[in-house]
Amino acid sequence: MTIVLKVEGLKKSYGTKEALKGIDFEVQEGEIFALIGPNGAGKTTTLRIVSTLLSPSGGKVTLLGYDLKKEPEKIRENISYLPEEAGAYRNLKGTDYLRFMANFYADTREKADETVRRGRDIAELGTALNDKVGTYSKGMVRKLLLARALMTKPKMAILDEPTSGLDVINSLEVREIIKKFAKEGISVLLSSHNMLEIEFLSDRVALIDKGRILDAGTSQGLKDKYQAPNLEVVFRSALR
Amino acid sequence: MKKFTNLLFKEIRELINKQLIISLLMMMAIFYFIGQMAKTEMKKAAATQKISVMDLDQSELSRGLAGSLKTANFEIEWSQGKDPEAAVQAAKKSDAYLLLVIPQGFGESVARFEQKEITTYTFLRSFSIGGIRKSEILRAVITATNNYLSDNVLKRKVPDVSPDILKSPIKTKDYVIVKDRMAEGSASAISGFVYSQSIIIPIILFMIIMYSSQMVISAIAMEKQNKTLETLLTVPIPRTSIVTTKMLAAGIVGLLSAAIYMIGMKSYFGGITGDVRASAAMSGVIKQLGLTLSGKGYLLLGIALFFAILCGLAMATILGVLAEDFRSAQTLMLPLMLMILIPYLLSFFADVQSLPLPAKLLVLAIPFSHPFLATPNIMLGRYPAVIYGILYMAVVFLVLVFIAARIFSTDRVLTMKLRWGKKKVVL
Repeated sequence: MTIVLKVEGLKKSYGTKEALKGIDFEVQEGEIFALIGPNGAGKTTTLRIVSTLLSPSGGKVTLLGYDLKKEPEKIRENISYLPEEAGAYRNLKGTDYLRFMANFYADTREKADETVRRGRDIAELGTALNDKVGTYSKGMVRKLLLARALMTKPKMAILDEPTSGLDVINSLEVREIIKKFAKEGISVLLSSHNMLEIEFLSDRVALIDKGRILDAGTSQGLKDKYQAPNLEVVFRSALR
Repeated sequence: MKKFTNLLFKEIRELINKQLIISLLMMMAIFYFIGQMAKTEMKKAAATQKISVMDLDQSELSRGLAGSLKTANFEIEWSQGKDPEAAVQAAKKSDAYLLLVIPQGFGESVARFEQKEITTYTFLRSFSIGGIRKSEILRAVITATNNYLSDNVLKRKVPDVSPDILKSPIKTKDYVIVKDRMAEGSASAISGFVYSQSIIIPIILFMIIMYSSQMVISAIAMEKQNKTLETLLTVPIPRTSIVTTKMLAAGIVGLLSAAIYMIGMKSYFGGITGDVRASAAMSGVIKQLGLTLSGKGYLLLGIALFFAILCGLAMATILGVLAEDFRSAQTLMLPLMLMILIPYLLSFFADVQSLPLPAKLLVLAIPFSHPFLATPNIMLGRYPAVIYGILYMAVVFLVLVFIAARIFSTDRVLTMKLRWGKKKVVL
């Protein structure tokens, strides 16, 4: 399997506060890799660094062989980032928003059309896509943003709490979509508080706390190792 | 380029929203309406006006004075009775703005070369320019009557000498020199005319710089508030393009808004000044002195304005990054607004050249001062000062763009915040 993302000794400090104290992990092609941990553990900071929003204070990140520090623009061409608290332009219609984003990735109009079509299918918002984003519910915005993140078929989708703000039915649909796209070869790096979601979605999991990875492995492997019935108990055991 | 235009069109679409269009149209309509109202008022003031006259003298001279008022387009409403107080009360009830009381013995006193008072009452029913004009016309009629009377006396007493020579034995011939050009005319009249003709320029400059800066600062703050900035920063487009498109879109929409605003202002000023046109003589003097903006002058003024807009946009971009949301962006406009306001107000009331050195240096250090100084400098032929100003603004712009680009290319674009509560910049 090809390694898409390689994170080595990644550190990040905000002034005197160390948010990441040197973490290492890899994500393979078509793999869903999840980061789980409490608030302030360093999950979002890791995702923001990989998506080129934050610069690391130390360590190395390579995506498809591109060095994050030296070639951030090459990395941006191959990723798609869905922040936890993301929004869309309220004055644009849903379809116009998808087209606006598609135009950054497609060379030709035909390719942009195809990308938008894919986005519409993922979003499943029907005629609401012709309405302005400002009229959407939180769940609709989230679905639109997920569609935006996946429609471009990035080499790596970075999803921070992808089902945040969605109801049970929509959450299930979103998880199915992520699974489907991973099977098509898209690698996914995600974070979530929802342990059930992590168990359902991820191929491998990293337990992160206070800027360090405590342990990593498959959900089943970790449960076996800690002799725990679920990931919540695994996490508690790993903390001890 | 395709990605750049994609982003630029989005930025323009975001800026030109329903609220902006409605507010601009409303503003234009309000200015047009006020302008038309003012025009109507001015026309009314110039049209036949009612004046109450109480003639207690009934002499040839008092009748002559009334005749002069008729010639000056006044409609006389004769006040009967002998009591001036009653005449005031009666005039109060009527729609007359003016009351003139000619006392008994007025004609005789003048004939005996005794100064005699006539009393005028102006009923100030509003503070409009139209109302003030009416009393000015009456004053002009009385001055003309005074001149007529004194000229007649002088002609009778000294028939061989012109009354003008007797009244003003010293005659002045005024010349105004601007650089190497000279023309006959009054300095105050010429200055007044140039001021009235160029008063609109600082207003245009002020509006354009303010509009553009406000837009870019709000655009960045809104991206932060609506949580769209993070997504935008991860799409494959250079960060410099994100900064440039925001500035460019704000510049375009700012210019457009200012143009619309100015059309409204023109209509408003047109109403107030009654579409005053320069007299042929004054035009000749102005042209002779070179106090007009030539093609080269307009070009230099345009370049100065362009660089001032760029400086404003670059400064607003940096301030926009410091804002946490739209509301804090409005507060952050304050330093920028002050920097625009200082030269704007100075352009009306003071000459920068005559300021004490520290104050002069402070004003010249503000990049926005230079377009305001450009108009008088161009008219007075001080081209090097204009060019130095443009060069200075270009340098300031490059420094600001460098800072803005540095901020956008690092994570400071997300982490840099100005927190008023803690009174510190978090970098």
